[in-house]
Amino acid sequence: MKYLRWSAVALLLVIGILDFYYGNSFAGFYENLWYVMGGIYIFAALVIAANIEPHFSQLTVFAYTLFLWSVWATVALETGTGLDVVAYADKAIEAILAVNMVLLFRNSRAGLIV
Amino acid sequence: MTGSGFGKLSTARLLMVAAIIAIVSGASVGLGIGYVIHYDAPTTRTFYLFDRSLPFNETLFKIPHDTFVPDTITVNKGDHVVIHFADIESTPEGHTFTMDPPYTFDAVVYKDVTQGGGVAGTFTNVPGVILGQSQTATISFTANWAGTFRYFCEIHQPTMTGYLVVIG
Repeated sequence: MKYLRWSAVALLLVIGILDFYYGNSFAGFYENLWYVMGGIYIFAALVIAANIEPHFSQLTVFAYTLFLWSVWATVALETGTGLDVVAYADKAIEAILAVNMVLLFRNSRAGLIV
Repeated sequence: MTGSGFGKLSTARLLMVAAIIAIVSGASVGLGIGYVIHYDAPTTRTFYLFDRSLPFNETLFKIPHDTFVPDTITVNKGDHVVIHFADIESTPEGHTFTMDPPYTFDAVVYKDVTQGGGVAGTFTNVPGVILGQSQTATISFTANWAGTFRYFCEIHQPTMTGYLVVIG
């Protein structure tokens, strides 16, 4: 089950880089927030990789992923912003990450080696 | 962790609670961001642009008396901009419509309207076009870069200058 942790780390890094790319590609207040999101994802990747407080950090990353998904969906519905290929790719990977985090958290809590 | 309620809850329940809190708070924050930024979905915005000659002696003041009307065009980033430019000079005087980089545009220049009009030329991805007296042009581009950019007549500087404001 160790691969679940490293796949989570890889996904977190990919999303972090994508968020930086998005913030860099599109000017504006909303797009600048993507830098912050990306920075937090990369920090989260380090925490998950180091397996620090795994139960707490895995659940937090899962919640953070759903939180950002919900923010994006709401802003997109309200304003039509963030409906482009980069954002779609980012959110698709986030959805995979959420599933990854559920599996990781369940295994981790069941006492399996993660 | 086990000393808190965290350790007593089942995994499924913990995940469910975390998901509900995350989604609800995310939607609240998203509504707030949407309200603050007030972004409009990209749309086509059409403007009519003319030259204007102010009533003063150019030789005396040593500056051209020509200006653009309007001298400011404001759009949102991503908007498709269409400008109908008309040279309404009463004397045979030409004007250019030129944009600062990185902007270029597509243009259809029409012949003198007093002689029936008709297409005089079609241009793609150019930084400027020139119109003679009573000629018109349809200029179009997408506002891909946020910021303030000049549009100007190269012949009548510095007075015949306007600004494209792209809100990002």
